Amino acid sequence: MDLPITITLMDIRAIVPELTLICVGLIIMLLDLVVKKKDLVALAGIAGTVLALFGTYKLYGVTDTQFVFSNMFVLDGYANFFKVIFYINLILTICISIKYMEIEKSSFGEYYALLLFATSGMMIMASAADLIVLYLGLELMALSTYILTGLMRKQPRSNEAAIKYFFLGAFSSAFLLYGISLTYGMTGTTNIKEIAFAISTLGIADNPIMYLGLIFMIVAFSFKVALAPFHMWAPDVYEGAPTSITAFMSVGPKAAGFAVMGRILMGAFGDMQAQWVTVLIPLAVLTMATGSIIALSQTNIKRMLAYSSIAHAGYILLGIIAGTPEGLTASVNYLMIYTFMNIGAFAIVIMLRSKGFQGENLDDYKGLAKSHPVAAALMLIFMFSLAGIPPTAGFIGKFYVFMELIGSGYTPLAIIAIIFSAISAFFYLRIVVYMYMKDAEQEIVLTQSPTMNIALAVTSVMVLVLGIFPSFLLYFVRYSIMGY
Amino acid sequence: MLKYILIPLLPLLSFIINILFGRNYIKNRAHWIAVPAILGSFVLAVSACIEVLNGKVIDINVYSWIVSGSFNVSVGILIDQLTAVMLMVVTSIGSLIFIYSVGYMHGDKGYYRFFAYLSLFIFSMLTLVMANNFLIMYLGWEAVGLCSYFLIGFWFHKKSAGDAGKKAFIVNRFGDFGFGLGVILIFLTFGSLNYMEVFGAAGGIVGQTITLLGYKVDLITLICLLLFCGAMGKSAQFPFHVWLPDAMEGPTPVSALIHAATMVTAGVFMVARCNTLFSYSQTAMNTVAIVGGFTAIFAATIALVQNDIKRVIAYSTVSQLGYMFLALGVGAYSAGVFHLYTHAFFKALLFLGSGSVIHALHHAKQDDEQNMQVMGGLKKHMPITYWVFILATLSITGIPFLSGFFSKDEILWQTFQAGDLGKFLWFLGALAALLTAFYSWRLIYLTFHGEYRGDTECESRIHESPLVITIPLMLLAVGAVAAGWVGIPPVFLEHGDKIGYFLAPVLGHPEGHGTHAQEYFVIASSIFVAIAGWVIAYIMYIKNPGLPEKLFSAFRPVHKVLFNKYYIDEFYDKTIVQPVLKASDKIILAFDVNVIEGVVNGVPSLIGVFSKGLRKIQTGLLSNYAAVMAIGVLCVVGYMFFMR
Amino acid sequence: MTLQQIYFGYFATMMTIISLLVVSRKNPVHSVLWMLVLFVHMAGLYLFLNAEFLAAVQIIVYAGAIMVLFLFVIMLLNLRKEEKEFRLQKQWPVSAVTAVLFLVVLVSILGKITVLPELGEYSIDMINAQGSLMTIGNVLYTKYLLPFEIASVLLLVAIVGAVVLAKKRIE
Repeated sequence: MDLPITITLMDIRAIVPELTLICVGLIIMLLDLVVKKKDLVALAGIAGTVLALFGTYKLYGVTDTQFVFSNMFVLDGYANFFKVIFYINLILTICISIKYMEIEKSSFGEYYALLLFATSGMMIMASAADLIVLYLGLELMALSTYILTGLMRKQPRSNEAAIKYFFLGAFSSAFLLYGISLTYGMTGTTNIKEIAFAISTLGIADNPIMYLGLIFMIVAFSFKVALAPFHMWAPDVYEGAPTSITAFMSVGPKAAGFAVMGRILMGAFGDMQAQWVTVLIPLAVLTMATGSIIALSQTNIKRMLAYSSIAHAGYILLGIIAGTPEGLTASVNYLMIYTFMNIGAFAIVIMLRSKGFQGENLDDYKGLAKSHPVAAALMLIFMFSLAGIPPTAGFIGKFYVFMELIGSGYTPLAIIAIIFSAISAFFYLRIVVYMYMKDAEQEIVLTQSPTMNIALAVTSVMVLVLGIFPSFLLYFVRYSIMGY
Repeated sequence: MLKYILIPLLPLLSFIINILFGRNYIKNRAHWIAVPAILGSFVLAVSACIEVLNGKVIDINVYSWIVSGSFNVSVGILIDQLTAVMLMVVTSIGSLIFIYSVGYMHGDKGYYRFFAYLSLFIFSMLTLVMANNFLIMYLGWEAVGLCSYFLIGFWFHKKSAGDAGKKAFIVNRFGDFGFGLGVILIFLTFGSLNYMEVFGAAGGIVGQTITLLGYKVDLITLICLLLFCGAMGKSAQFPFHVWLPDAMEGPTPVSALIHAATMVTAGVFMVARCNTLFSYSQTAMNTVAIVGGFTAIFAATIALVQNDIKRVIAYSTVSQLGYMFLALGVGAYSAGVFHLYTHAFFKALLFLGSGSVIHALHHAKQDDEQNMQVMGGLKKHMPITYWVFILATLSITGIPFLSGFFSKDEILWQTFQAGDLGKFLWFLGALAALLTAFYSWRLIYLTFHGEYRGDTECESRIHESPLVITIPLMLLAVGAVAAGWVGIPPVFLEHGDKIGYFLAPVLGHPEGHGTHAQEYFVIASSIFVAIAGWVIAYIMYIKNPGLPEKLFSAFRPVHKVLFNKYYIDEFYDKTIVQPVLKASDKIILAFDVNVIEGVVNGVPSLIGVFSKGLRKIQTGLLSNYAAVMAIGVLCVVGYMFFMR
Repeated sequence: MTLQQIYFGYFATMMTIISLLVVSRKNPVHSVLWMLVLFVHMAGLYLFLNAEFLAAVQIIVYAGAIMVLFLFVIMLLNLRKEEKEFRLQKQWPVSAVTAVLFLVVLVSILGKITVLPELGEYSIDMINAQGSLMTIGNVLYTKYLLPFEIASVLLLVAIVGAVVLAKKRIE
């Protein structure tokens, strides 16, 4: 029997961005052996990302929706848009990492290589047309982030965070695999499109096994995007991980999780929308409640931002609950905005870290406006945006999600979300109050670097620009999701 | 389209550059960015005005901010005749004030910051006047308030300055709250915030009522009164006038900017802009007229006895704003806007002139640089300042054929024609004009005439201000004299009321039914009170310098009440400020103790079992987390199968 | 009960019991040895599913290589103290109740499940005709080539991670 050779140039071309990132990751590890200055290694990472971004740009819009590698991998606007989010996340993370990792004495070349690998994992997730590929992408991303979390080997809390993240991650992977096998058992396929086809033709939308498979998959994704009650790892891991990695994984894996959630729920389980919406609504409410309320009592800014990111996951989920392409658009739009504002906020957190000073307590922000007015003003912008106050981008993100939610008839849920949003404004504004209305307790030295300044400039400008001119991003998102 | 957008954007750009790079790079060169920016705006504004003069009305939506189904909020600009007048006022006077500031603020530590805020202020004001919908106007409105807080409290190391800034901000918040409610009500009523759509649909809701706290309230009256509430705050009308005199704590260019060209005119502009709405509600119109008329005379009486040179001018501003509202209230919108326009010139001149005096005294190292009682005889030291001051005073008091005469006369004449209430308000206005003439000349005599009453050593150091200060003064003086020539009443010159006809498409042109004889009577009485006030001041401060003292002692209680501004600040302090402060202290304390502490301690205990060992490094934690996840899964599965 | 059901029942039950034994032994070596038994049973299940190649790989790779590695590590770590401690966490009653409840839920929905006919292109007959090894090799390098390659990157990351976290660094 002869083996059919199914790989064409088309197939290879479709994964060029992923290949680029992985190759650059490998090159970085080799480069690390000969180059002493880690800045150069980091710059190589950025260059690689830009290259991959260029690849995605070239692929963008060339084909409508293209399935390659025997329908394992899909190239569509939806995936490409998420890839753009991942690139932005990666570049910004590298920018804010360089100086910080030196201060933490953990500036290894592998750090940047792993960031690239993790990002390629996310990209594979976003492009996965098959549950097997999805799972492998997820593991690639997860494994890299576990290692990155524990990279500060001298710090017990970093190690602790990595261990926790690893074990709980493995636990959630088990759920994912269980869900996948149950679905496979019922439908006889792991391909997302074929699952959707099987569900409608076999009429198994009401089969309890399908329910279980669906729930288990939702649980696994919920873990990745930190939805309550599967969020327990997030505060500890976010606090323990290097701050740059916290920024990275508060955006990247979350976006990747939502990417697959959108694709699986709306693609594979489109016929079971009534079922998954019933599961997601309580999860969303619980998530927003947990995030907004517990964040109030935090004294560590990283922990506070961890809870904040949990709350934001709740808001993003609302767009998926709306269950329409417009709802998904709103969610994706929110994710892009969230990328900028969250990384921006973490960049400020990183700036406060200097040799011998952690700068992670809320108290450290007291009087920042007097000593460092620009940093304080930027933090103000990010906090306003996270709180959703116009004219920042955060407002636009929330506004569209809520509007779509109301449009789909979930008005009570939207009201609950607005209430929690108001509660969450509390702890964001508390930082502003600390910065502007309290007196400093000690001298704060900001750690600055050119790349950090670039990252801050980009994030703050984007937060304002997307707040004032939201339609172009929205148009871009709509255009990307259209084919989906 | 770009050139219209650039009008507000140039100052914004100047703000961004100065605030970002001012501290480290620009420092004392901030004006090289700010002044060209505002001059650029001015030039563009002029070209836009020329287009409007040629009959073009620019109403464009620049882009849609939020579009979601039928909900559409767009950012757009509207340059019609009214906006054109405002643009000219804001950019021309703004430019002069910017140039003046170069000299006045020279050497100040926050030089770059000052120009940054000033630019932002101009940007906000331009946004406010160029908006084509209520939302953008509201944004500009709030931004103006915020900027005034920064600018009034610019010398924040001075406690009084910080307090004044806060006061301006807080008093304005009360008004803005009303304005905000008004905008929301407009949106709920009309389903749109666009001016044209709202004004177009306004006729359809006349007579509609809504039930408010059990009372039936006329909808359009309610909207108008809420809007007017905002106007009262911004334009410092009684009882929200208290912030304006205190705003003198800011640098003098700021006072000029706030009082002449920008912030205080926002309220007048807004009412004029919404004239369609107001015209449908006689109640609202009467309220506006009465508040305006009362404020005009009320503020004038306070100005009679103040000793701080800027404070006198500040109360004069409040009084003049009263005139403008009086005009708006009797339906003579164009007269109100006309007065706004002329007032901008002579009031900016008065402020900048007083700034020149303060600047000179400051450099002469006199301690009490704003107190008129220790000035005097400055005429010979500062001739330019003196002469421009004289021109401004002649203009504000309404001496014929200067700017103030035409606009004030137009207001009084239109008021006179407006029925019985109008006659009464005219009387108040004429009386206020008398007082205006008196306190204006009192200011001149105390400051420039007689002998210097301060330290003689100081006197030798007093010099005329530098050219960068005096040139804007002279340019403004031209405006103070000639700006009014565009609104000559028909009795003097056929078709002389050019500005009235220019504004007519937006504001309408009231056809008076008074006779020529009546008009001559009104004009004559105006001239009479202006000269009478002058003469009284002359007698009291030049002929008989001892007379004021005698009068004060004879009418001590009256003087005391006036000097203390009717004790309104004290009244507010006792009835509102202190109780609120006390209550809020208590609330904040209670909040801190109960809510924050409660949340801090309570929430973790809510999570109970799982949170106890939260910070400890132990594996127990990990399995707890896993257990929570497992329980979570169980709950979801159970919910799915059994609860649904 | 058919022979098949008895066969599956035995392995499934035993796997559950052995799993419990693995996590509850005080001596880590005992745990690992129980795990070995667990893997053998798992291989039995693969056999039951006509996947003899997977069964063999399960024994060779897991029971042969990985378990030995586990044992090495445990012996190197010298875990004397661990042996004396109770191996379950304090929360074990909660976990137990959760597990039991979960079982109850799953059992209670058993009745609602409709069993579908065999699905998918790789039927038992086809695999039997072609041979298990052949089939796996065939799909792995054609249809599942991409996942296969991703898995290789995954393994690379795991190696890099182990090195990064364990390597001694000269400060």
